[in-house]
Amino acid sequence: MSIMALPKIGYAGMTHLGLCSAIGASSKGFDTLGFDTDPALVARIDAGKLPVVEPDLDDLLRDNRVRMSFSADPKALLGCDVVYVAPDVPTDDTGGSDLSGLDGLLALVLANTRPDAVVVVLSQVPPGFTAARQRSGRLLYYQVETLVFGRAVERTTKPERFIVGAPDPSEPLPLAMQQYLEAYGCPILPMRFESAELTKISINCCLVASVTVANTLAELCERIGADWSEIAPALKLDRRIGAYSYLSPGLGLAGGNLERDLATVVRFSEEYGTEASVIRAFIGNSAHRKDWALRTMHEAVLNKVPQATIGVLGLAYKENTHSVKNSPSLALIRYLGPWALKVYDPVVPASAALHPNASGAASALDAAEGVDVLAIMTPWPEFKLLSCDDLAATMRGRTVLDPYRVLNPAAARRAGLDYRTLGVA
Amino acid sequence: MLSHQFSTPTAPGRVVVVGAGGFVGSTLVKQLGLAKVPVLGLTRKEVDLLADDGAKRLRGVLRPDDGVVFVSAVAPAKTAGQMMTNLRMAEAACAAFAAVQPGHLLYISSDAVYADDANPVTERSPVAPSTTHGMMHAARELMLRSEYHGPLAFLRPTLIFGAGDPHSGYGPNRFRRQAANGEPITIFGEGEEKRDHVAVEDVARLAVRILLHRSVGVLNAVTGVATSFHDIANIVAAQFSPRAEVKSVPRPGPRPHLLHRFFDITDLHKSFPDFHFEPLADGLARVHQESSVR
Repeated sequence: MSIMALPKIGYAGMTHLGLCSAIGASSKGFDTLGFDTDPALVARIDAGKLPVVEPDLDDLLRDNRVRMSFSADPKALLGCDVVYVAPDVPTDDTGGSDLSGLDGLLALVLANTRPDAVVVVLSQVPPGFTAARQRSGRLLYYQVETLVFGRAVERTTKPERFIVGAPDPSEPLPLAMQQYLEAYGCPILPMRFESAELTKISINCCLVASVTVANTLAELCERIGADWSEIAPALKLDRRIGAYSYLSPGLGLAGGNLERDLATVVRFSEEYGTEASVIRAFIGNSAHRKDWALRTMHEAVLNKVPQATIGVLGLAYKENTHSVKNSPSLALIRYLGPWALKVYDPVVPASAALHPNASGAASALDAAEGVDVLAIMTPWPEFKLLSCDDLAATMRGRTVLDPYRVLNPAAARRAGLDYRTLGVA
Repeated sequence: MLSHQFSTPTAPGRVVVVGAGGFVGSTLVKQLGLAKVPVLGLTRKEVDLLADDGAKRLRGVLRPDDGVVFVSAVAPAKTAGQMMTNLRMAEAACAAFAAVQPGHLLYISSDAVYADDANPVTERSPVAPSTTHGMMHAARELMLRSEYHGPLAFLRPTLIFGAGDPHSGYGPNRFRRQAANGEPITIFGEGEEKRDHVAVEDVARLAVRILLHRSVGVLNAVTGVATSFHDIANIVAAQFSPRAEVKSVPRPGPRPHLLHRFFDITDLHKSFPDFHFEPLADGLARVHQESSVR
């Protein structure tokens, strides 16, 4: 590679993290290869059919298509100067990671890249992972990923900083990697491997702490006449808390990544004898809040209407994603066996509900027709367009569960709806 | 939380209720009858678990395909002696269950097994009793876990009320008796402590469901609604004509550390989604009517 030439970047693993990051790299002017061992997946992506739902991602690929190539042939990696190994690491119900896929892909990449190429582990790994895989004569680094489902384009093109785990943080990064990262114009923080791996976990623990505070106090608001939506803005104006802090109450942790990091801290604390009861409390609070809709539905409707029909809007675990991992909506539906359901999600098919008596609706309003209670379980933007008057006119019952305040609470109450949301009675 | 071995209700060949003469046991026998489940109720007359041959007699009755409910107890176990008596009964029962392992075993335990500071209580709250009564139930649960290796369920009721309650513990049963005797209903202090109260019939209905689903695990028999003794006293007082007097009396000791106790009943919604409790006011009105008829 000439010093002046831009390095060629590779991303191995074309699931959510790798695909979004690769397209982001091409948008910074780098020739970028997206590699995956699945030829069918590569062919679909190459044809422009992306397997993930992210706002603006299709446009970003189209605008940078000239610099973006895809291949299922490992030999294509030989042309890359920096290769990120970035498959999504699957987790089980307890937050445990299955690292076998990552290990297999890392071995494949190391076997098919030039010795001077920089290989960077980007997937979420437990502390100790990268140090344990160092090889003599190879440049293996770790980099923290901070992708957010539903905001992947923003996060991958405008990162706040790069956190890099290095064999010796006092040494400069390899030139090709340095050149690539500097193109983003954000701070680069090299540190030892274990620190970088634990930084990722620390970030998520801080986020969970904020969310848990919000959830704990929002529940109290629901009992004592306070309104968390009035309190949270005041907190965000406190510089010690911050404008971007995670203070919106929710239905517990979902998506898998935060849960994975909490599980990792608990596992390490057990292994090394450190005190981690607060992390267990986070997990307990998440489980408690996840069932808010189930408890509220029983209290408000199911206690009184044994033959109720239930409408559910949203199946994805959050808006702007197809992912249903740990989805609060599916967690609710699982325990609504005796009742008839009408479900609608803009992206996820009704079959994902796995309910014996669920029918798919053609639209959000269609899902509300004739139901005794409506639960808006994912805050998709299109649900904000629903008219409360239309809902009141089409529903049989009056009760609407809207944990994320998709609807305007005042408008809902004006329309005569029995409106229930998080953080207020 | 419970897991069900039978997803659809399936009656066992027979249910044996050990402790069928008691408040909960007798109600359960009636509910099983209503559900058309063959039932054999054993009272102390048929099997005395404190007798030398208690274990042998129970063993002689049991069949491997039985569902068994163990609800026999000297309650409440307020003293060390009463606790040990209950443990001897459990020892005999365990010997019988180990010899002829029934197909399903349900133990009627108590919410007293939980720590005082668990709030809201769930089925995952730590078992850390602070009373001999709670310790007795916790110990019995452990004994059964140790000696019985089939599908095992624990139902942990909170404060139970009902027309046939032989006890006169502080709460709706005592309040009703006081009013019926023309005495003032007495509450300690302002009666501000909030507690969950469950009708004995609801406890029995839950037990029937556990038997029909051959459920395994723990379930609290609690309504999820905590009401102050003050409010309960006034509900009961209003049932009498003329209205009974509600009188505050000094507490017999310091105000309890556990001022309120709340339960989270999410596990119940998940285990038996279509089960709902009789509201407290309705239950107290029904009990008043049933007691008046007696």
